[in-house]
Amino acid sequence: MASIRTAVPIFNSSSARPGPIGLVVEAVRDIWSRRRLVWYLVRADLKKKGADSLLGNLWWVLDPLLQMLVYVVLVEVLFQRKQPDYPLFIFAAILPWKWFTSSVGDGITAVTAQDRLIKQVHFPKIVLPTAAAVAGIANFAFGLIPLFALLLLWYPTRLSGYLLLVPVIATVQLVFTLALTFAVSAINVFFRDVGNLSRHVLRLWFYLSPALYGQTTINQLATDHKELFRIMELNPFYTLFTAYRSVIYGAETANNGSVPPMPPDWAALAGLALGSVIFLLIATIFFKRIEPSFAKVL
Amino acid sequence: MTTVAALPAIRDGQPAIEVDRLGVKYNLRLTRRNTLRQTFRNLGNRSAGEQDFWALRDVTFRLVHGESLAIIGPNGAGKSTLLQVLAGIITPTEGSIEVRGQISSLLTLGAGFDQELTGRENVLLAGAFLGIEPEDMKRRLDGIIAFADIGQFIDAPIKTYSSGMRARLGFSIATSVDPDVLLLDEVLATGDQVFRAKSKARVLEIAAAAKAVVLVTHDMSWVTEFCNRALLIEKGHVIAEGDPAEVVALHQQHSDEERAAKAAALARAGVI
Repeated sequence: MASIRTAVPIFNSSSARPGPIGLVVEAVRDIWSRRRLVWYLVRADLKKKGADSLLGNLWWVLDPLLQMLVYVVLVEVLFQRKQPDYPLFIFAAILPWKWFTSSVGDGITAVTAQDRLIKQVHFPKIVLPTAAAVAGIANFAFGLIPLFALLLLWYPTRLSGYLLLVPVIATVQLVFTLALTFAVSAINVFFRDVGNLSRHVLRLWFYLSPALYGQTTINQLATDHKELFRIMELNPFYTLFTAYRSVIYGAETANNGSVPPMPPDWAALAGLALGSVIFLLIATIFFKRIEPSFAKVL
Repeated sequence: MTTVAALPAIRDGQPAIEVDRLGVKYNLRLTRRNTLRQTFRNLGNRSAGEQDFWALRDVTFRLVHGESLAIIGPNGAGKSTLLQVLAGIITPTEGSIEVRGQISSLLTLGAGFDQELTGRENVLLAGAFLGIEPEDMKRRLDGIIAFADIGQFIDAPIKTYSSGMRARLGFSIATSVDPDVLLLDEVLATGDQVFRAKSKARVLEIAAAAKAVVLVTHDMSWVTEFCNRALLIEKGHVIAEGDPAEVVALHQQHSDEERAAKAAALARAGVI
């Protein structure tokens, strides 16, 4: 006697698609039911990134430190800008930025790189950009090791309880990153230009965000170029970098001084959180709506 | 080896696959443009040429559990597109399709493997893509490795595999997941003689266990020997459906005619 299944899954395919809310519900269900797949993809990605080099995963720790060193040489030695504890000042920005760029960079090719599989197996494609965004967190987590090393060994006076707020800020960043990753991974299926464009856009974005400079430079800008300042305020990384810096470093002051760590600007962070959630909803609907055409276009 | 299960067992009285007036349209504009530049160029000559292409049109058939259906036809007829629709990979433009049961659809075997990961990791990854519970997949792991017969290579990265080993592992995964509906695309020709015999036996086993098998193949002897139905597709339309021997004969007649017509055209071009 053949085994009897209690619930035989029935697959039914037609051209009808659910509405926006239905698509979001479907996306959440997709990711939850395939959480194991997301986990496998994240692990495979991390394994590949660490496998080919001599130092392996040690690069996750070394990379942000070396990047910090480059900027310290650039700003403190070449541009002769003096600021107390400048290495820590920029490290607070490099750390979240590396996570962001690695997630977005992987996200752009997340769908297109799996073109062969997409044409062979029916699975929810949204797990691919999700895995790319989540894998970036490892980048951030490993970067926390040199951060704590810096704080303990060189800047013990900056150690504070506000560091416990880093995960809160990181959660807001995750929502924003996830939304952008969904969007770019889907657009790249139709326009492969996204990859070429993104490198330059990301670089410009970094320099327009207060990573290498702080609030005093921005205040100067605000008096000289009012329009530029408005745009800057809308930049999510203006809020994010400032928030990370508040809890890790504190803030610099006009006369080359600095103040110790403090709580972030909660109103700005809440506003960004709300905006990111809305962006995530829109990006999810967008992704789910064009998902059925992936297998045809790839 | 026993012969084909001649009696198609109908489970719950419902067919495994029901396809009704299925049509799949490709938008050539959409599929061709991959960069912004091409898009702008296309905007210029919007009206030039036919933009829509029907890969499949008016396809209707049913398949009950226990039947194995061969889809045959010339290259570019829409055979693989039909399999993709059955697997749920492509949504139909018109008509409807219903598939009851767990589908296994590693269509081109091993093409989706991650080159850097080991064979074992790829088995688990493939299971996750197919939507099979990880515990379930781990339980099947030993059987999959044994059937694929790749020995200690299972813990080496896939990039070190030969194409035959890759195909064997792919076939082993696709058939080990206990599918109710098995979709195979041109896979029976892979591997050496021994493995080919083994894979034929496995497909027959699945068909005998009252499961539906749909396969695309150019191996006509396989169609007449082991399938109980055949579907001939030409230019996206179903030309014939029914007894494998008759459908294969019609297909061969059509391809002979085509070859003769081509030869005649060539001869004419050569003469003039």
